[in-house]
Amino acid sequence: MRNSTYVKMALNMLLHSKLRSWLTIIGIVIGVGAVVGILSLGDAMEEQVQSRLAEMDLTKIAISPGYTRAMSNMPGPHGEGGNTAKDSELTDDDIDALQGVEGIQHIAGEISGSEEVDYAGENATLSITGVDPQVWKYMTTLETQSGRLLEPADKYVAVIGSDVASGIYDQDIGINQVIKIKGKSVRVVGILTEEGGFGDSSVYIPIDGAVSLIEDAEEGVFDTIMVKAQSEDLVDTVMEDITDKLMISRHIVREDDMDFSVTASKSMAESVTEMTSSMTLFLGAIAAVSLIVGAVGIANTMFTSVLEKTKEIGTMKAIGARNRDILMIFIFNSAMVGFVGGIFGVMLGAFISTLFPMLGMTMMRSEGDTGIFLSPRLMLFGLVLAVVIGVVSGAIPAYRASKLKPVDALRYE
Amino acid sequence: MALTEIIEIFKTKLNVSGILNSLDKAADFYGESDIYSEMDDPGETIKNNPYNGPGGAFVKNVDAGKLSGKKEVPLIKLTDVWKTYQMGESEFAALRGVNLEIYEGEFLVVLGPSGSGKSTLMNLLGCLDLPSKGTVFLNSSDISELDESELARIRGQMIGFIFQSFNLIPTLNTQENVLLPLEFLEEDARTAREKAAYLLEIVGLSDKKYNLPSQLSGGQRQRVAIARSLAVNPPVILADEPTGNLDSKTGNYILEFLYGLNKKEGKTIIIVTHDLELVKYATRIVYIRDGQIEKIEEYTQNKPEGMI
Repeated sequence: MRNSTYVKMALNMLLHSKLRSWLTIIGIVIGVGAVVGILSLGDAMEEQVQSRLAEMDLTKIAISPGYTRAMSNMPGPHGEGGNTAKDSELTDDDIDALQGVEGIQHIAGEISGSEEVDYAGENATLSITGVDPQVWKYMTTLETQSGRLLEPADKYVAVIGSDVASGIYDQDIGINQVIKIKGKSVRVVGILTEEGGFGDSSVYIPIDGAVSLIEDAEEGVFDTIMVKAQSEDLVDTVMEDITDKLMISRHIVREDDMDFSVTASKSMAESVTEMTSSMTLFLGAIAAVSLIVGAVGIANTMFTSVLEKTKEIGTMKAIGARNRDILMIFIFNSAMVGFVGGIFGVMLGAFISTLFPMLGMTMMRSEGDTGIFLSPRLMLFGLVLAVVIGVVSGAIPAYRASKLKPVDALRYE
Repeated sequence: MALTEIIEIFKTKLNVSGILNSLDKAADFYGESDIYSEMDDPGETIKNNPYNGPGGAFVKNVDAGKLSGKKEVPLIKLTDVWKTYQMGESEFAALRGVNLEIYEGEFLVVLGPSGSGKSTLMNLLGCLDLPSKGTVFLNSSDISELDESELARIRGQMIGFIFQSFNLIPTLNTQENVLLPLEFLEEDARTAREKAAYLLEIVGLSDKKYNLPSQLSGGQRQRVAIARSLAVNPPVILADEPTGNLDSKTGNYILEFLYGLNKKEGKTIIIVTHDLELVKYATRIVYIRDGQIEKIEEYTQNKPEGMI
C-alpha cells in the first residue's frame, strides 16, 4: 500500500470520526496552544531584553555607596539585608583615586533625588538626576528627539524625558519652556526620545545646578560614580581594578567590610537574560504537562477506535491488508489527529500571546509595542510537536490493531 | 453515460496494460498465466452480453480444455486438518481430521448446521487462520510456512471474500470499497478506478458509486461486496453465507451471479452455508457435521432454473 493511500484511509477515518476524536483534538489544541503561547511569550521577552541590551551601554560600570551583593538579587548571607554601612559616601576623592585605572574612558559622579517640579501651575514629583555636563553626552546612550543634550557650560537647564514633555502635565512642555524645580526656574533644552522605561519621566540637569536643587545633596559627594570602560572586554578587569583601588583608598582590608559596590551593566544584562530564559523554561514545563495529558487522550481514543474498528480491520486483512498496512493507517490517523490539533493549537497559541500584553504581563517597561508575535519557526515547532505526539501516542494502539488475527477480528462484534 | 461510450472507454483504456499487469501478478503466484486471458477484453464482454441476465454481464465462454487440464492438481488441499480452541480449562476441537481437495473451476458448497465447524473450515480455506494440526496446501504450498505478509498477499490476490454481513467499510463509499483490495496491491490509481467502474457496471451499481454502504439496501451492499471480491480478479471466491442476510429474491440474484462467474469465467466458488437452497448450484457438496466431513456428493451438471 502506498503512502498516499495511507493518508487517504487515515483522512477518511478522521473525517468520519466521532465526537470523541474531536474532543481528543481539543486536548492537543490546549496543550500545543499553551506551549506555543508561552514560548512566544518567552521569545518576546527575550527579544525585548535583547533590544534593550542593544540600546544599553555594556561598557558602563556603576559604583554606589553601601555594599550590595550585586550579582545576586537576594540579601547577603549575613542577614543584615542588602546594604551595610549606610552612611558611607562616594566623594571626589574616590574619583581621584580611580583616575589612574587603566581601561577607563570616562568617569563622572552623579547625584539623584526626587523633587517637585512645577509647570504651568501643575505640580509633580519627578526624579532628578544631576550629571556631569562635561562627559555626560559621551557616557549616555540617551538621545534627544528635539533640542540638545547638556553642554559643559550649562547649569540651570534641563533635559527631560518624553513622558515629562507630554503626558505628565496637561500642557506639553516644549524646548526653551521653563519649569520650576523647588522654585528655581530651569529652562528645558532637550527632550529625550521615548525609550519605554524609567528614564522617560526623569529630568537631567548639570550636577552643579542639581546640588542646590536636590535636598541633602552636597558638593563633592555623589550618589553614583559612573565609569565607562574603553571596551566591553575590559569591563571585568576594570571592575576588579576599581574595587582594588577603592579598597585601598578607603582603607578597607577585608572584602566583608566593603562599603561600596561596583556593578557592571554587562553582568546585569547577563543575569536578566538568564532569568528570562529560565522563566520561559519553567512556564514551558508547566505547559508541557497539559501536552502530556493531551497525548494520553490521543492514546486512549486510539485504543477505543481500534476496538471499534476491529471488524473493519479483520475485513481489510481478509482482502489483502498486511499488518504493516493496518499499522500505517492507524499511525497516519493519529498523526493527523495531532496535526489538526497542532494547527488549532498554534492558532490558540497565537491568540494567547496577543492576550499577554492586555493582562499586563509584558514584564518589560514598554506599553506601546506589544512586542509579542508568533514566529514561523515557533509555528512549525508547534505543528511538528503535535504530529510527533500524535504518532507516539498512537503507536501502541496501532501496533495492537496490526497484530490482530484476521479470524478473531472478523468474529468481533 | 451511454453504453457505447463505456464500451469505447474499455476498449481503449482498459484492454491491455492495467488488467494484464494485475493478472500477471496473480498469475505469477499461481504459476499459470493463460488461465486469465479471458478477462483481457472486458469491453467486449459487455458488448456481447448487454445485461440481459444478472449473471450474464461479466461472463464469457471459457476454454473448457484448460480447466479440465487443471483437474489433476488440487487448488486447495487439506490433509488431516485439526483445529482446536482452548475453552477455559478444556479443549474444543472445531475440526477433527478433515481431508478435502478443491479443484479449479468447482462450485463447492460446504453444508452444515451451526457449530459443525464449517466457519472454521472457511477460515482455513481463506488463509485467515492456521490449522492446529495437519496441513492446508494452497497451490501446493503449505500456508503454515508462510509469514503474515505473504498470507495477506495470497488473500489479496487469490481469494475474493464475500461475507454474510457484507463487511463493507462503512466510511468508504461504494467505489472506494471496491478499490480497496486494489490499493492493497498498489495497483495504478487510474487503472484501479477503471476496473472499479467496470465491476460496478457489471453489478449494476454505476449510479451508486459515491454512496456510503449505509445508503444502500442489503442486496446492493452484497453486490458491492461481490464487486470488491472480484476487484483483483482472484481465481477463488469464498463466500460465507452470502445470502444469509438477504431476502430470497435478492439472494437468488447473488447466487446466479456467482453461478455465472463459475460457469463462464471458470472461477472456483466455495460457499459455506447451512441453507439447502444453495445446493442446486453446486458441482460438489461437502456435508460437514461435528468437525468432520460426513459425506461428499458430486453433481456433474445441474443448471438451476432461470439461468441463461
